[in-house]
Amino acid sequence: MANLIRRDLIIQKYQLYLFIPFILFFIFAGSHMSAFFIFVFAGFFIPINAYSYDEKVETNILLNSLPYTRTQIIASRYIGAIFYMAVSIVITTALFYVFNRPFTWADIAIGAGITLTLFSFSFPLFYLLKPGNIGTAVTIGFILFVVLSGPTVMFFEEYLTPVVDFLMNVSSFAIYLSGAGIITALYAISWIISQIIYQRKTF
Amino acid sequence: MENVIELHDVSKSLKAFTIHNMDLQIKQGYVTGFIGANGAGKSTTMKLIMNLLQPDNGEINVFGLDYASHEKEIKNRIGFVYDSNIFYESLNLKDISRIIAPAYTHWDQQQFKAYVNQFDLPLNKPMKKFSKGMQMKASIAMALSHDAELIVMDEPTAGLDPTSRRELLDIFQEVMVDGKRTILFSTHITSDLDRIADFIVLIDEGEILIDKPVYELQEQYAVVKGSNELLDADTEVYFIKIERSPNGFQALTKEAAKVRGVFGKHVVIEEASLEEIMFYMKGARNLYG
Amino acid sequence: MQIIISNSSKEPIYEQILKQIQTAILSGELAEGDALPSIRQLAKDLKISVITTKRAYEELEKAGFIYSIVGKGSFIAEQNLEVIREKKLRVIEEQLSAVISNSKEIGLPYEELQELLKLLYEE
Repeated sequence: MANLIRRDLIIQKYQLYLFIPFILFFIFAGSHMSAFFIFVFAGFFIPINAYSYDEKVETNILLNSLPYTRTQIIASRYIGAIFYMAVSIVITTALFYVFNRPFTWADIAIGAGITLTLFSFSFPLFYLLKPGNIGTAVTIGFILFVVLSGPTVMFFEEYLTPVVDFLMNVSSFAIYLSGAGIITALYAISWIISQIIYQRKTF
Repeated sequence: MENVIELHDVSKSLKAFTIHNMDLQIKQGYVTGFIGANGAGKSTTMKLIMNLLQPDNGEINVFGLDYASHEKEIKNRIGFVYDSNIFYESLNLKDISRIIAPAYTHWDQQQFKAYVNQFDLPLNKPMKKFSKGMQMKASIAMALSHDAELIVMDEPTAGLDPTSRRELLDIFQEVMVDGKRTILFSTHITSDLDRIADFIVLIDEGEILIDKPVYELQEQYAVVKGSNELLDADTEVYFIKIERSPNGFQALTKEAAKVRGVFGKHVVIEEASLEEIMFYMKGARNLYG
Repeated sequence: MQIIISNSSKEPIYEQILKQIQTAILSGELAEGDALPSIRQLAKDLKISVITTKRAYEELEKAGFIYSIVGKGSFIAEQNLEVIREKKLRVIEEQLSAVISNSKEIGLPYEELQELLKLLYEE
């Protein structure tokens, strides 16, 4: 299992060099963005990129011919996503700290929460899509994201920041816990759905 | 254990075609050549054996184990080679081996390096820059470097030049010397099999037509040539498929001894090559099927 | 011991191996207790399939020329060369009788037959 997760690093050797400049770009150019937004970007980068390598039929034939079970392959994707997201967020936090950009723990928590929610929706969808379409889906998604990010950021600035403030102020342990609970449940359901889809896939 | 692979009554429906109640045993310690035209069902059968496809019905055992509860153990003991490149195209061989190696409990890095040297493969060049032959050799190097007991190869010699093909056949024979290994090898280049195959399985339209040791094929099957007057309702029964021309007939028989007895010196009887057997068997099916 | 296989010969490959080992035994090149190469090694060396060499060895064993010990390999069995020689002689006698009766049928004189035999023997 650890081998499957480590595989993502070997595959992305070169893209990883892009990771830090990518985050730095957001830290400097995206000064109008909320910090949690950058955490979402950072957390999303490696797992989704890794996923795009796995969309090919050939890769699935390779993985399924090696001594791994389909259950393990899916598990490595979901566990790996959490692992790489965590590492990415730690690196991003360090960069924030070094370049003196203000952020709060709530930014990290919300960033991680949104990222996990995105994973929960995108992974099963990707497993459903025909190979070859995921690249297109990601590209379209990304373009939409860029186009909409302006209005979205404004929207978030307007509405979500108060929500965040609200959460901060009212911040009871219960609210965080229920948020975490919902996301965990979402992630778990997504995992099970992906597992079912993948089990039936033919290569 | 005598059979490494056992298929019992396996059925699988795919869009293109179906496999009906297939029974197949692959014997331990031997090379089995799997032949058939393109689209005959070779790859599908291989995929069933590798558990890339699950059968709709029937049972598949490898090493006497079933995939439902022993998938990892089975695959740990199999080396695989497919007819297309399944490795990450942007990675070089070194990185690919770093992904493959830890998956196996018996990975032998020395062995892998020895094959890489023998095949003259560059370690730092991305896979997509490899020629088809180099990709195949890389794949074979990995399949043979983890002490696999069963080596499953789908068209391993496709895309190789004659020198490389010979080199590979030598290696396959070398790995067979200790008697622990089994090779299942699909190809439509039947001359590869003349040399190393112990058993021949011929498949057509998802159905196994022949499954025999090579010497039985050589003894029983023959191409018979003679003049048309020799053919009548009584004599035609000895042939699987007859091709007539104004100058005489050519036919395939699987009763060479009987034909020799009946026709004696009136006909020419020649050992049938795998290619001829394949050709006539397929022709016979198109005729009656 | 040298074994030379012809792929274009009409004789099956296993028979070629069988005959060559038999000849080596009868000529004394291989003596009782000598080890034969393992089936798999021989297959690899001759670049032929394992099952073909296996068949040759099985036939040799059946005919009493060799014996096999599991895990150790195959060895030349004790040969009663006298008996084999006698058997061969009897076969030769039979074949010669056939030759003689054929010669008589077409009225071939003894001298000419002898001449023919001499010619063929020295070929």
